[in-house]
Amino acid sequence: MAFPLPQGITPSEIAFLSEMELVTVVPRQRLEILELLGVSPSGGSTELLQPPVRASVPLWLALLLKRQRRINIVPPFWLHPESLSFILQIETEHRDYSDAFSPPPRLPGQQSVGDRTASDKLKPRRTVDGQPYFPTPPFLPQNIALAPAEATGPGREAPSLPYHWLEVGSMLLEAASDDLVDPNQTRRLLKDLREVRTAKMRKGIDVLDTAAMAGGGVALTGVGAMEIGEMRGLVTGIVENLRYFSGFVLGKIGVSKEQARREQLAEEGNKDYDDTQDYGDSMEL
Amino acid sequence: MDIDDIDDILASIDPENSSDTELDHQQLTRFWVAERAVSDLLPWPGPLMDRLMERVSKQIELIEDLTASSFDTSNNQNAMLNLKLSILQTDLSRTQYLIRSLLRQRLAKLTRYSMHYLILISPPSQHPSQSSSSQQQTRPEDTIPDPFSSSSPESDDFSPLSPKEAEFLHAHQTLLASHYGSSFLGSFPPQLRRLDDNAGGTSMVQAPDSKQVVFIRCLAEEVTVVIPADDAIGVEHYGTTMRIGEVWVARWEGVKRAWERGEVEIL
Repeated sequence: MAFPLPQGITPSEIAFLSEMELVTVVPRQRLEILELLGVSPSGGSTELLQPPVRASVPLWLALLLKRQRRINIVPPFWLHPESLSFILQIETEHRDYSDAFSPPPRLPGQQSVGDRTASDKLKPRRTVDGQPYFPTPPFLPQNIALAPAEATGPGREAPSLPYHWLEVGSMLLEAASDDLVDPNQTRRLLKDLREVRTAKMRKGIDVLDTAAMAGGGVALTGVGAMEIGEMRGLVTGIVENLRYFSGFVLGKIGVSKEQARREQLAEEGNKDYDDTQDYGDSMEL
Repeated sequence: MDIDDIDDILASIDPENSSDTELDHQQLTRFWVAERAVSDLLPWPGPLMDRLMERVSKQIELIEDLTASSFDTSNNQNAMLNLKLSILQTDLSRTQYLIRSLLRQRLAKLTRYSMHYLILISPPSQHPSQSSSSQQQTRPEDTIPDPFSSSSPESDDFSPLSPKEAEFLHAHQTLLASHYGSSFLGSFPPQLRRLDDNAGGTSMVQAPDSKQVVFIRCLAEEVTVVIPADDAIGVEHYGTTMRIGEVWVARWEGVKRAWERGEVEIL
């Protein structure tokens, strides 16, 4: 067998991805610029580490240097206990988010809610092959620490959970708990957040049959990478089965959703609709 | 169109050549995640992989040079050099892991749906027709289409496989067919020996299921899930609309073209 892993990246692969996130560090030792293959988004090389100037390095490098006590990690803004309790409050008490996840950090070019006037339209970068490219996590600076002025300034945004929150949070708690503000409190809050959000994810399963239909979909905006990783098998399995049953069992009794949708579309398109033919289609699914 | 020309034009537009490494790395990572998540084989990003492989071999040379120089330095410098080497090597293994995992995933898909992809990449005229071969001599190998039989460059544009993958696939399927033939298919009546039989309206060629759902993030302002045209519906229709930054669960066939345009990302 060429490849033993199931379809869709597994939790350990997600952890591998999240190690590409940039974090802020305070070096204790000088380290020259190194040209690396997999360092983003800083132009393919590490920043010069010169104590006591803050620098951004990928998490895997930060963990490697931290283990050798060559740096200290500055925890990201969202990982402070106040930020986490603020997010937890939104997750549990805000009525707009009683069934949804708290809003994620905005992508570059994405307008905030209610701010339709902003004119900075999203301009994709071009890859070397000329394809449009929009950077996303783990290649956005969602886990770097804010400068002190930014953290207290009036214009700062409310804290939000980044895409790799669970992985980055746990890895920092494990490897750099002495650099965090209040590790015990942080650990508790992360655990609470995880429980609240897992419950929401389970609730979301009820509406999965929309994703089983052609052209349909279920929104999970704000979901974390690891949360997707845990649910992937369950979600795809449920949708598979819903599709199978709606085409097979329900197709015999009455009209399945998929079939009804197809009929509707076929009528819209003024197409002849052959019942038996479509039944044959559903059987193939 | 010549790829080198495009590259030259782009290089002249974009002065930030130093960020190429970074962008290529991001692209590789995203492509790997996508390849791992969807059921069918994604188009082989040839130029990207060529650049990456070149960089990997350069990096290996650099590491070898540094290792060699570590023998003739003093102790103090040596500690620093060892640190650098371990960082460079970690970085190299991470990139190599991505490439290896990507290739193995593609091989797994190729061997799983080997007949489907062989038929896909072979020019249609070369498919042996059901009646042409003499019934008595039908061997399972004869039903394998040959992707290299025609030299028309058009077929390359449609092929999601790299040339090496195509070569592997053909060799793999030929071996498999001759094995089937000698172990059991040879004792079957000739008309049952085909590997691409579709008698009775059921094709025995397994194709990847494009109706599976995937997790996606919308990257453009708005992307609409499409319902592709099929037998029942002659034209394609549009379903749910996603907005920038949103994460959705939707059918792969409905967002495939948006993915090709770079407007959605697979998670």
